[in-house]
Amino acid sequence: MFRLRRFSTRLLILLLGLLFAALAATYIFVSRASFSNAIAHAETNLALAAGIFDETTRQRIEYLAGSAAVMSGDYAIRQVLQQEVPDRATLSSTLESYTQRVGAPVIALLDAQGRLQASSNPGMENENIGPFRYLSEQAAAADKPVASGFAYLDKALHALVVVPLYAPAPNVLGWFGLAFPIDEAIAQRLKSASQVEVTFVSTEVSGPPRVLASTLPADIAQAVAGIAAARMAGPQRYKPSPEPAAAPRAETIELPGDRYVTLFKTQAMLGTPDIMIVLQRALSAELAGARELEGQILGISLVALTVAAIIAFWIARGVSQPVLQLVAHTRHVAAGDYTRRLELKRADELGALATAFNEMSAGLTERDRVRDLLDKNVSPEIAAQLLREGAALGGEEREVTMLFADLRGFTTMSEKLRPQELLALLNRYLDRMSTEIERQGGVIDKFIGDAIMALFGAPTAQGDAAERAIAAALGMERALTQLNAELVAEGRPPLGMGIGINTARVVAGNIGSQRRLNYSVIGDGVNVASRLQSETRKTEFHANIITSAATVAALRVKTCSLRPLGSVQVKGRAEPVEIFAVEPPA
Amino acid sequence: MSPSRCRTSSRIAFLAFLLAAASTPAVAADVAFKLVDQNKLPVADAVIWLVALDPVAAPFAPATAKRSDIGQVAGQFEPFVTAVRAGASVRFPNNDRVQHHVYSLSPAKKFELPLHSPGKADTIVFDKAGVVAVGCNIHDWMSAYVVVVDSAWFAVTVADGGGKIPGVPPGRYRAEIWHPRLPANDKREVAVSEAAAAPVAVELSLKAGFRARRTPPAAGGGYK
Repeated sequence: MFRLRRFSTRLLILLLGLLFAALAATYIFVSRASFSNAIAHAETNLALAAGIFDETTRQRIEYLAGSAAVMSGDYAIRQVLQQEVPDRATLSSTLESYTQRVGAPVIALLDAQGRLQASSNPGMENENIGPFRYLSEQAAAADKPVASGFAYLDKALHALVVVPLYAPAPNVLGWFGLAFPIDEAIAQRLKSASQVEVTFVSTEVSGPPRVLASTLPADIAQAVAGIAAARMAGPQRYKPSPEPAAAPRAETIELPGDRYVTLFKTQAMLGTPDIMIVLQRALSAELAGARELEGQILGISLVALTVAAIIAFWIARGVSQPVLQLVAHTRHVAAGDYTRRLELKRADELGALATAFNEMSAGLTERDRVRDLLDKNVSPEIAAQLLREGAALGGEEREVTMLFADLRGFTTMSEKLRPQELLALLNRYLDRMSTEIERQGGVIDKFIGDAIMALFGAPTAQGDAAERAIAAALGMERALTQLNAELVAEGRPPLGMGIGINTARVVAGNIGSQRRLNYSVIGDGVNVASRLQSETRKTEFHANIITSAATVAALRVKTCSLRPLGSVQVKGRAEPVEIFAVEPPA
Repeated sequence: MSPSRCRTSSRIAFLAFLLAAASTPAVAADVAFKLVDQNKLPVADAVIWLVALDPVAAPFAPATAKRSDIGQVAGQFEPFVTAVRAGASVRFPNNDRVQHHVYSLSPAKKFELPLHSPGKADTIVFDKAGVVAVGCNIHDWMSAYVVVVDSAWFAVTVADGGGKIPGVPPGRYRAEIWHPRLPANDKREVAVSEAAAAPVAVELSLKAGFRARRTPPAAGGGYK
């Protein structure tokens, strides 16, 4: 049974709880550390990707600028241009040849006024080369041999570079405009270099944000575009914005399917609002290693918990089983069975406890035996009082009714019977008499040979001590009649008995030496009771039970017939004592 | 083939021609070739020519008798490979919409036809045996070859790898094969008889070829 209050259950819960807490804390700690590590790592990756993008773009622009410089110095194109009316179709096909030489997908040739002369792409017209013209004007204004920037060419994002066509330097004959698209291919290359998702988002003045290129699936890219557009807080800028002073901070955003550590990077455009370069690292990818570690920790934890549970259960059983045995043993002891002994072969505290228990059982057995003997040697009441108050010398004065019973003709009988037979007969007699006395709540003070001394009202006070004593005496008489009938049937002579009863104030208590003592009563009244018993021997009285006026006075209910016998002189007493014969009620 | 060897063989051919003319009338045969590469794919644009090993009467054919054209059409030379006998002239008509600037830097014939508009057709005489690589100054992808041979018997293989040299007198010949992707000319001896013979099957080991190609504009998601 699984009960919370059981020791084994509690031990199990304690051990598992502690272990679980430790493991859970470790797990949470590792998990949190992994998480913050992952974020930090992702942020580093994003910053790296941003750097890679800037650097590769810068390098490619530089390369194209260098290529354009070589192109502008090329003899072949000069020959084409040196004609009075340069053939535009020939120029275009020459530029087409150059696109392959320099690896620029777009090459345009502008005249000194910024008008399109020819281009490698048949679709390009004078009205959609605005960004090239803008750059050529910038370069002319700044008197620099190169100008570059980002712009849309026919709505597609491009990086552009413009270099002058010298004829010869510093005479500008025209401008070479080169461009390469910032497209899916660039995004994919950046992703493969940095493991970062890349999305270029156009935030137009009107209309929804447009995904220019992305490594993400279309729907997620569109969601990213929406968030990016929202990040472009404030009024849209039309002028090329200065480079951001501080590196933008990465943030974690929730997208369908995953969470992404995200870096929003604005990119200035030529004459149009800035675009957003959104660099993202999926948390799940970043956390993959950490998740594996967490899984391992979880596995180890489960194994540890299972093992701990088994060990805890085993230990708890080792403790609770003997405890349960002790409990059962205690119940036996409580029920009074001191004979059982615990069999626990253990060297630990429980073994010591079992040994102590066995010793206790032995002690209890011993005590019981002593108590039993005490009960038999003294009356149960005295034994109880001794156990209750201890055996100390001293006593108290109280009114006690004393009963003395004596066999008549016992001396003659003792001469006729063998000692063993005599003892058996005596015991038989005393047993019957004792029963009657105890039935009335009397206390056997002592047996003096064949005589019985009994107390009523001591050691426990009894309001009706006199009535009890009279009733006991009458009961003894009846019991003797019964015994005599048995003796006669056995062919033995009947016994005769005399009883004296007196009530007096006496001292009751433990009387004797320090080593041996008896509970008894002392006083003049004791002697009177003994004397009254002796009076029954006088045949003229015809009385087996004689009591004193003091006892009669103590009677509140008359439970017998009283026959006055006059006054007798008691030895050692000045005052004569008025005595009565006690007979069964008529 | 070194120029001196060419000269020697041409001298021998001329002697053979004189001998043949003086004795028996020549009975000519067609010699067919079938060229495949190491992958058993037909080899087109290969030039095969024969050099007589025995004195034979070579037909007297003036170098200028047959004129070849290498046109410029839609930004390409047409044909890609032209074979001519030393001393022959080749015309370069511009049949395109744009101007071209044809040139060669090959030792066998250095020449330049400066930027010329459509409709113009200049002629170049190739008087020295050898391979002449032809290009266009303003269009990198344009390429052509003129293979000048010291022989009256030559052919250029077509798409199925076949080439036929007509009117070859019976006898022993050294066949030479040139191809832009062949590391060195293939040389082998062939016997020509009057009886009709099966095409001479030749397997060539071609190296991986690089040829400038015109990529379609706006390829790769660029400007459209």
